[in-house]
Amino acid sequence: MDLTPTPEDLAFRSQVRRWLGANVPAHELKTLDERKAWHRKLYEAGYVGMLWPRELGGWGASPMQQAIVQDEMARVDAPPAINGLGIGFIGPTIIVHGTDWQKQRYLKKMLTAEEIWCQLYSEPNAGSDLASLKTRAEDQGDHFVVNGQKIWTSSGPIADWGILLARTDPKAPKHKGISCLLLNMRQPGVEVRPLRQITGSSLFSEVFMTNARADRRDLIGRLNQGWEIAQTTLGFERGSNSLGRVTRYAIAFNQLVRAAKELRRDGRPLIEDPRVRAKLGKIYAELEVQRYAGLRVLSALNRGESPGAASSITKLSYTEFEKRYYELALEILGPWGQLVTAREEFEEIDTSSGEPGTWATAFLWSRAGTIYSGSSEIQKNIIGERVLGLPKEVRADRLKA
Amino acid sequence: MNFAFSSDQQLLKNSARAFLDEHMTPATVRLLWDDPRGESETLWKEMGELGWLGLSLPEAHGGSGLGMVETAILLEEMGRAAVPGPYLPTVLAARAIEESGTDGQRKRWLSAIATGDARATLAFLDADLDWRPEATQARAEKRATGWTLSGTKRFVPWAHVADVLLVPARTPDGLTLFLVDPGAAGLTLEPAQVMDGATRLVTVTLEGTPVAGDAVLGAPGQAGPLLASLLRRGAVGAAAEMLGAARRCLDMAVGYAKVREQFGQPIGSFQAIRHKCAEMLLEVENSHSAVYYAAWALDAKAEDAELAPSVAKAYVGDAARRVCGEAIQVHGGIGFTWEYDLHLYFKRAKALEAMYGDADHHRELIVRRVAA
Repeated sequence: MDLTPTPEDLAFRSQVRRWLGANVPAHELKTLDERKAWHRKLYEAGYVGMLWPRELGGWGASPMQQAIVQDEMARVDAPPAINGLGIGFIGPTIIVHGTDWQKQRYLKKMLTAEEIWCQLYSEPNAGSDLASLKTRAEDQGDHFVVNGQKIWTSSGPIADWGILLARTDPKAPKHKGISCLLLNMRQPGVEVRPLRQITGSSLFSEVFMTNARADRRDLIGRLNQGWEIAQTTLGFERGSNSLGRVTRYAIAFNQLVRAAKELRRDGRPLIEDPRVRAKLGKIYAELEVQRYAGLRVLSALNRGESPGAASSITKLSYTEFEKRYYELALEILGPWGQLVTAREEFEEIDTSSGEPGTWATAFLWSRAGTIYSGSSEIQKNIIGERVLGLPKEVRADRLKA
Repeated sequence: MNFAFSSDQQLLKNSARAFLDEHMTPATVRLLWDDPRGESETLWKEMGELGWLGLSLPEAHGGSGLGMVETAILLEEMGRAAVPGPYLPTVLAARAIEESGTDGQRKRWLSAIATGDARATLAFLDADLDWRPEATQARAEKRATGWTLSGTKRFVPWAHVADVLLVPARTPDGLTLFLVDPGAAGLTLEPAQVMDGATRLVTVTLEGTPVAGDAVLGAPGQAGPLLASLLRRGAVGAAAEMLGAARRCLDMAVGYAKVREQFGQPIGSFQAIRHKCAEMLLEVENSHSAVYYAAWALDAKAEDAELAPSVAKAYVGDAARRVCGEAIQVHGGIGFTWEYDLHLYFKRAKALEAMYGDADHHRELIVRRVAA
């Protein structure tokens, strides 16, 4: 056991720091074109698609290097790359299960953010029970006709392409009649309606598909193999943000301390109140444990180990921590923490969405983490069954199957 | 950067597990609970032969020259087995003697500790139970030849079996650490009974107890930093033991949930139980990260070497209490019986939660460091 960074990692870190120092945009990126241009610059510097194989346009870097880039970007509050779902998840799905034609057609433009991708999985009546999805794709030979509704689609309004799960065999047991398709979002049969979240912003949307068309050549894997494909745990990008995430927590913590020194209650600065100190100590201890756990995950990835189901522990751990963190922060700050347009010293906290906002938005955002990408309850099922080997629950839908 | 144990470290862990599985069964632990002395002298000698007692001492004194990571590996296994005995206080005291002792003091104690011929402990807490070195109340007065010590030290681990006590006391020069013979005049030992039978705590009363002039450990008046450093090691060591106890409880809970049937199925198939077990695993794994990060930080003299032990003690103290408690809950009534072994580990973790500063104490230390 030795957590000392290697000389190579240190050299890489200072190289990244220099590059960011010279290149991070001085002004806020407002338009999609500006963000695409910044993304392209990051890509060309070798900081996007880092773990992808070189022959597919990636950089063949190590998980440690990728984590260093994320960490350095967090330190200087650099605008993030875009197309994260594409590069982190959809692209790797195509790399593992896609045809050569699909790889040639889609991957490079995904990396460079020439084409933006979204994920069309969840439906109004298929959330944690994703396999009960109802969107249908009818096989017409050279293409499929898609009808149905998707929901919680991030980047929906700006997406050019989506990865879709749709039912192709309504008679098969529910896990066995689903196929995975790539869907062109820029067609008349696809309508995207923004959904407003409790934060007030509209970062995700509903997608309605009415006789939309998906070409046969855009089928991923075999017909009715969709569920299996969606279940594949992919080794790309996981753990990549383990350092950057904690750096963001720590930057926010310093702002919290600053606020606790300025604000007064009961005739003294908050920082002198033992109740406030106990809360600050609790946050910081947990924040550091997140950092140690992140290093542990990263070290396993760097040794080429795949965390598999154990990555559910990581996701459960940090999303639940975020909720406790911002709950305690708002308890400390009182009504100051609830200001939507805040005084300067409380502004520009990085929320778990990666977007700058106030403590109020960070607090609200922290409610999303334990729901998206498999809720905490689903993660606990995975941990219980696949890590601890506890018996599977007797489920009505499995009995039928 | 590698968080995994080296092959030597893994070997140490495996051999410790095998040794303790054989020699420190729950039945043996229970015998020692009922033993007035409370520890096994045979086991102690064997631990000396295995190199455990001199693990982090220099080779010149019969040690192996290893670090806190290796010490934590052993302590985790000892916590897993709820081993009764003065291992942690002895290695802490040995560390202090090695770091700050004179040649004479080192010669007198270190080899004897490494071979299992001597035990030592730290008589730190005064009656007001303050873990800050600067809050020490006991006093030392200079005499023509040496010193006399007065004061009451509470909850001193294993003082009744120790051959030497490390006693901090105030002097006109400031806080000073003394090596005190437990048989010295004016020194009385009064063992207390606590709920963990593997923990023996003793009240040490010093009434004008004479100690020789060469009994001062380190520079007179300069004991503060040494004590703070010892307490950090103690915190990591206690966290490692709590981790071991918590993992044992988790393993027992998961094992039970797989075989115990109610309503016609194993209770582990119910989400109410499965989710509890998942939450326990999360806290155990995070505790592992916290303990070994802190141990490594001490060994590597990392820039956060003074912070990480507090993080580990604060986090693991809370986590181990919850995990061991939830293991009882998963077991139901059987987990509440004296005959079932869970309470050995539940109580071991609880006892350690209060030692070397509890979670509240360490959270305050953290805030002083990061919000100054």
